[in-house]
Amino acid sequence: MQRLILLITTLALAACSDPRQEVTAQLADQVLLPAHQQWLRSNEVLLETTRAGCAGELALAEIKQAFHQTQSAWSHLQPLMVGPLSEGNRSWQVQFWPDKRNMVARQTESLLDEAPELDQQQLDDASVVVQGLTAFEYVLFDEQVAIRERRDRYCPLLVGIARHQQALSAEVVTLWQQPEGMLEQLTTFPNGRYANADEALGGILRVQITAVDTLKKKLGTPMGRLNRGVPQPYQAEAWRSRRSTENLIASLEGAQAVWERVRSLVGDAQLVADIDEAYQRVHDQLDALPAPLMEIVQDPDSQAQLQSLYQDLDTLETLQQSDLARDLGIQLGFNANDGD
Amino acid sequence: MLSRVSIGGLLLASLLLSACSDEPAATSTPAYDEARARLVIDHYADMALAAYSDALSEARELREHIDTLLAQPSEETLAAARQAWRDARVPYMQTEVFRFGNSVVDEWEGQVNAWPLDEGLIDYVADDYQAVMGNPGARANIIASQSLKIGEQQMDLSELTPELLASLNELGGSEANVATGYHAIEFLLWGQDLNGTGPGAGERPATDFATGDSATGGHNARRRQYLEVVTDLLIADLEAMVAEWQPEQDNYRAELAAGSVEDGLRKMLFGMGSLSLGELAGERMKVALAAHSPEDEHDCFSDNTHFSHFYNGKGIENVYLGEYQRVNGETLSGPSLSELVAASEPQLDQALKTDLDASEAALQTLVDSAAKGVHFDQLIAPGNAEGAATVNHAIDALVVQTASIEKAALVLDIQALNPDTANHSF
Repeated sequence: MQRLILLITTLALAACSDPRQEVTAQLADQVLLPAHQQWLRSNEVLLETTRAGCAGELALAEIKQAFHQTQSAWSHLQPLMVGPLSEGNRSWQVQFWPDKRNMVARQTESLLDEAPELDQQQLDDASVVVQGLTAFEYVLFDEQVAIRERRDRYCPLLVGIARHQQALSAEVVTLWQQPEGMLEQLTTFPNGRYANADEALGGILRVQITAVDTLKKKLGTPMGRLNRGVPQPYQAEAWRSRRSTENLIASLEGAQAVWERVRSLVGDAQLVADIDEAYQRVHDQLDALPAPLMEIVQDPDSQAQLQSLYQDLDTLETLQQSDLARDLGIQLGFNANDGD
Repeated sequence: MLSRVSIGGLLLASLLLSACSDEPAATSTPAYDEARARLVIDHYADMALAAYSDALSEARELREHIDTLLAQPSEETLAAARQAWRDARVPYMQTEVFRFGNSVVDEWEGQVNAWPLDEGLIDYVADDYQAVMGNPGARANIIASQSLKIGEQQMDLSELTPELLASLNELGGSEANVATGYHAIEFLLWGQDLNGTGPGAGERPATDFATGDSATGGHNARRRQYLEVVTDLLIADLEAMVAEWQPEQDNYRAELAAGSVEDGLRKMLFGMGSLSLGELAGERMKVALAAHSPEDEHDCFSDNTHFSHFYNGKGIENVYLGEYQRVNGETLSGPSLSELVAASEPQLDQALKTDLDASEAALQTLVDSAAKGVHFDQLIAPGNAEGAATVNHAIDALVVQTASIEKAALVLDIQALNPDTANHSF
């Protein structure tokens, strides 16, 4: 009896060493940094594959496959990109979405017209629209680009983008791992970025919750939620490669990886169950989508399914944005989607 | 017995856990004086009333200059009308801080200030004009058309009325179809800016409004009518918004006053932060800069973007300081968020004021640059490192300021900032 109480008290006191700091450190070390490293590896493969493909040593399909891997690693990373990647315009260099006016086609073609012998410096100085995966996808998948016949025109750009992405991701991973880098700032407090673990955890959650809001946008925009319900298939992310749904799933899983670590901090068991269920529902609904997003948003028979998915995403967002934030006593602050 | 002990232990554990968190105890003194905060919210409504009233009177001035232009189309009368449009933007841009958070404004705003637009909906455009992909109305050219068919829908355009123009907004479901508001008027007064990221704005000749032999552009009677009707609609919309902020009426202001103090303060802060970060720093500057895209410039026909941004920033400052300088030069001042924050955290109040000054100075550099002939669309040109630094400096100042706005919200005990989800529960 006595011993039992003592044991429980000791456990409770041990918890006082700060479970938030522990969870934050685990997130940084076991979730966030590995996701950045995975993204870097995917870019290394993309660069090698693109070089070999453009040299005629590999089929075009291999480049496409490597591109899908990079897209997927990037999608997974978005809910986790606290710190360096979200600063400056780094994340914009990876992807430009939404691109309502087809800027990617215009800027890519005019860059190649002006610089047929495109070198890396010219690409690095150019607009973010042509530096990232959106332009890569345009070249590989757009029907207007005769990539097979015009390797001479497009290959320098493909290799250049892959190299730009590889360099960017290597730089970001270094910023994580170097002394006083992001990893250290998420584990040792106070530091130049965070006064304590609470602030750091708040920073991680803010990025993750914003990413769930962005998922809503990525689904809702092509559904026509901003356009009186008229579908906007060309505003689907990755519509050219028909990979919108896979990207959404990868992002959802990235967000869920944060939640899996945070849930031990939540006092309200019902809230934990509700959030678990919300993730499961969104995941199930995404898995059940029968065709690429840009096609099903135009299919009248799929509207109910899409609405229900959107509703579930909305529920997930609200549970995290208000109920979870309140339970943890964390202010989420403004995000870039406020004011849209 | 064992289970009772366990429960006791668990209780103890949770007490200890909450004891080691840094949160202030829930029973501490209130974050602000509630009666004083009510006055702050009431003064906020007074400032909204004054700013919308100024926007309305300037829009009426604009209408008079348009009358003169149409009576005697000349480069002089066109220049005067353009100046009147620029003047009308000064108070309007200061109202935008009221948009986010106050749904009555946000829902109304689309008809008044929507952008970017596919201007080919309204009038003639250059051959290489780039519209939103899949927009069926991108080249509808209302001015040149008596009727319009979008999908199955056939529309009679023969009579240009405010109702017709309003109904053409978001035509075919595309948000780029903007037939009304400040930017539609801007396009009619300036025409397309065909200079890309080079110097120069739209150069529509005054003869586009002439009748008779000197007329250019085509369909001039329709263009003249369009300009009148769309300006009248703007005036009517502003009248409606002024009415929403009049005291002691059955209107939005009454709703705001009847709501909780916390909600009122939340709306004020959410408006400041959303405009500062997501809208002004993000949508209106960062997108255009990162993509070197003049189509994403806010006042892209007139190249008046520097002032639009400057007065957006001013609006944020107005709400915090409780001060608004009216177009007649009078200053309206009263109870402010600043004093509520200063009452418990004077240092934070000072820091936020410093941030507001810094962002104002940074936005001023955009204005100064334009005065020297280098406008926003030139600052964002590819390869213009100095221009990019100028714009980035303004973006950074707004980001820093937003972080202080968040801290101010915490001081006022507001954790959830978004009024749409703050009180949501399942």
